[in-house]
Amino acid sequence: MEQWLEWARGPAFIFSFIFMILGLARHLVLTVWEVAVAWRRAGDKTIPWRQIAVVTLKWMFPAGRIGQQPLFSLTSIAFHAAILIVPLFLAGHIALWFRGAGVSWPAIPNGLADVLTIVAVVTAVALVLQRVAARSTRALSRFQDYALPLAIAVPFASGFMVMHPAFNPFSFDAVLFVHVMSANIVMVLIPVTKLAHMALVPGVQLISEMAWHWPPDAGSKVAVALGKEGARI
Amino acid sequence: MDGKSKYSYYVEQGALQVSDRPRKFLEAFAAVLEHSNYGLPLEVYTRISAKCSRCAAACQLYQSTQEDRDIPCHRSELLLRIFRRYFTRSGILRARLAGGFTLSDEYLDEMAESFYRCTACRRCKLTCPMGIDHGLITHLARWLLAEIDVIPKALLVAVREQLQGVGNTSAIPVAALKDTCEFLEEELQDLYHVNIKYPLDVEGAEYVFLPAVSDYLLEAETLMGNAAVMHVTGGSWTIGTGNYDGINYGLFYSDRMMERIVRNVAQEVRRLKGRKVLVGECGHATRSAWFLPTFCGAEAPPVVNCMQYAWSQLEAGRIPLKEQKIIERVTYHDPCNIARAGRITEEPREILRAICSDYVEMTPNRTANYCCGGGGGTVSIDEIRAFRTGPMGKRKADQIRATGARYVVAPCANCKKQLREVCEDNGLEDVQVIGLHDLLLKVIDLEKGA
Repeated sequence: MEQWLEWARGPAFIFSFIFMILGLARHLVLTVWEVAVAWRRAGDKTIPWRQIAVVTLKWMFPAGRIGQQPLFSLTSIAFHAAILIVPLFLAGHIALWFRGAGVSWPAIPNGLADVLTIVAVVTAVALVLQRVAARSTRALSRFQDYALPLAIAVPFASGFMVMHPAFNPFSFDAVLFVHVMSANIVMVLIPVTKLAHMALVPGVQLISEMAWHWPPDAGSKVAVALGKEGARI
Repeated sequence: MDGKSKYSYYVEQGALQVSDRPRKFLEAFAAVLEHSNYGLPLEVYTRISAKCSRCAAACQLYQSTQEDRDIPCHRSELLLRIFRRYFTRSGILRARLAGGFTLSDEYLDEMAESFYRCTACRRCKLTCPMGIDHGLITHLARWLLAEIDVIPKALLVAVREQLQGVGNTSAIPVAALKDTCEFLEEELQDLYHVNIKYPLDVEGAEYVFLPAVSDYLLEAETLMGNAAVMHVTGGSWTIGTGNYDGINYGLFYSDRMMERIVRNVAQEVRRLKGRKVLVGECGHATRSAWFLPTFCGAEAPPVVNCMQYAWSQLEAGRIPLKEQKIIERVTYHDPCNIARAGRITEEPREILRAICSDYVEMTPNRTANYCCGGGGGTVSIDEIRAFRTGPMGKRKADQIRATGARYVVAPCANCKKQLREVCEDNGLEDVQVIGLHDLLLKVIDLEKGA
C-alpha cells in the first residue's frame, strides 16, 4: 500500500496536476485567440466592454442571483465556494507545496476547513438530489451531470477522514490513497468535461457578444460557398 | 401533402421536396462556421453547458407548457449535438469508434418545429450561470434550417417581396405610399387643424425615416404622432421612396437575407445624402439597423429610434404639451429587441411619466420583461395564433391583467399585432394596445408648435 500511496502522491499527482493546468491553459489560449480572430473579422468592432465586465463579475460573485431559485442557488454557491477554498487553502496542502516546491501562502484555520469540507460533501449530494427531484433538470441531465458532483465529493469525504482518524473505520493509508487518487482523477477530468467551465466561464459573456459581431460579408460568402449567389429567394 | 401538414406553420411546397437534407444541412453548417463568428460560442457552449435548467424557470413558454422540449437548454442541445458530432475532433472520433448519433430527416423536422417554438427573446440568457445565449442558438439554427428551405412561408414571402418584389414587406407601391402620406396629412388637418407634411425624397435631411412599413397600413396614429413630433421640433427628416421599410425578417431566419436588407437601408440613406437613420416604433427594425456598422463599417449612418429622438426633444423642452395629461391608466411593454440588452428602456418611460397621470409598470420589466409572445417573427405566422396567444402569450396576458391598465403602450409593430391578439384571446377586450406616439399625439400642443 505504501508504494501505491507513493505513486499516487508522486508521479500520478504530478501528471494529473500538469494535465489539468495545461488543459485549462489550452482552453484559455485557444479561446483568447479565437476571440481575437472574431474581433478582427467583425464588421462592428464596438464592444460594450463595461456591460460585459459587469455581467461577468455578477456571475463570478452571484449573490444577487440567489432570489431567482434560492435553494438551488445557495446550494450551488456553497458548493463552489467550499471546493475552491479547501484544496487551495488547507494548511496541510500548503505544507506539502512548501515541502515539494518551496512555495507557501496563508492558510485557513483547520476548523473552518472542516466545516467547508462537510459543506462540500453535503452540497454535492444535495445538487444531485435536486437534479433528480426537479423535472426540468432530470430531463436535461446526462451521466456526467450526476457523476461529477459525486466524484468531486470523494476527495472531500476521504480528506475529512484523513484529518479525523476518529471518523475513519478504514486503514489510514488506504483512505489517504483514495483521497489522493480521487483528487487526481478529478483534476484529469477538469479540462475534458463540463468542469472546464472553471476556465471558460469568465470569458463567456464576451464570447456570446462576439458571436453577434458578424464579419461584414459572412452571408455573401456563405451564399457563394453554397452556390446560391444570385439565386431567387 | 399540403404546406402545413408537416409543421405547425406553412412552408412552401418546394420545401417539402428537398432531398438529401442532412447532407445539405451539414454543408451549410460547415460554410457558416467557416465564414461567421458562430464557431467560438458553439465550441464553448458544448463544453460548459451545465444542464442546470435555470433557463426553464425563465422561459414563459415552459412556464405554461411544462414540456421538456420547451426548456431552452433542451432546444439548444438539438443544435449543439450536431456541432459536437460533426464539427469537433472528439465527436468525430467517438462516432468513428462507437457510432451513435447521426443526423436524420426526422431530427431536422424536430428542429424545424422546436426552433419556431422559441421567440428568441433571450430572456433565458439572463439566468444562465454559464452565460449561454439560447437566442443566439435559435437565430443560428433557423438560418441553417433556411438553407434546406425550412422557412415559415409568412417570413419567406415577406423577404421575397422586400428584396425581389415591390421593395417592402407589405408590398406597398410608391404610389400607395404617397396616397397614404397625403391621407395622413389630411387627417392631421381635419383632426388637429395643423398643416404637417410627410417630406418625401428630400435630399440632405438629417433623418431618413424607416418605420415598419406595415405602419402605413395599420398604425395611422403612430405615424401621425411621428410626424407631429418632427413638426413641433422642427426636425429635418424625409421618407425615401427608394426604401421606406425598416422591417428585416432576415434577423429571424437568415443572416444572408439580413445582410442584403441592411445594406439596402444604407444605400437609401446614401442616395438621399441623409445623415442618420430614424427608425419608427419597431423593435426588430431598430435592432436590425443597429447592425449597420457591421455591414457598412465605421462610416455607417448613426441609428436613432424615434422614442430616443422624442425624449431628447421633450427633455430639451422642444415639445409643447397640453395641460391635460392622459388620465387613463397606462402601462408599458418592453419590446425584447430594444430592451433585453438594456439599450432602450428609460426614454419611453420618461415620456410616459411626463404625459400620463396614471402610469404603472408591468412586473417584471425592462431587461427582464416577458416577450409579447410573437417575437422572432412568429407574430407574422397567422396559422400559429392559438399557440402564440395561448401557451406563449399567457404570461404576458397575466402581466397586463395585473396592471389593470386601459392602454398598453407597445412601441413595436410586431408587439402591437401580437398583444392585440393576446388581449382578444385572453379576455382582455377592454385593453387597448397602442404606440407611444399615438399617446404623444393626443397631448402635444400643436398650436404652440413650430
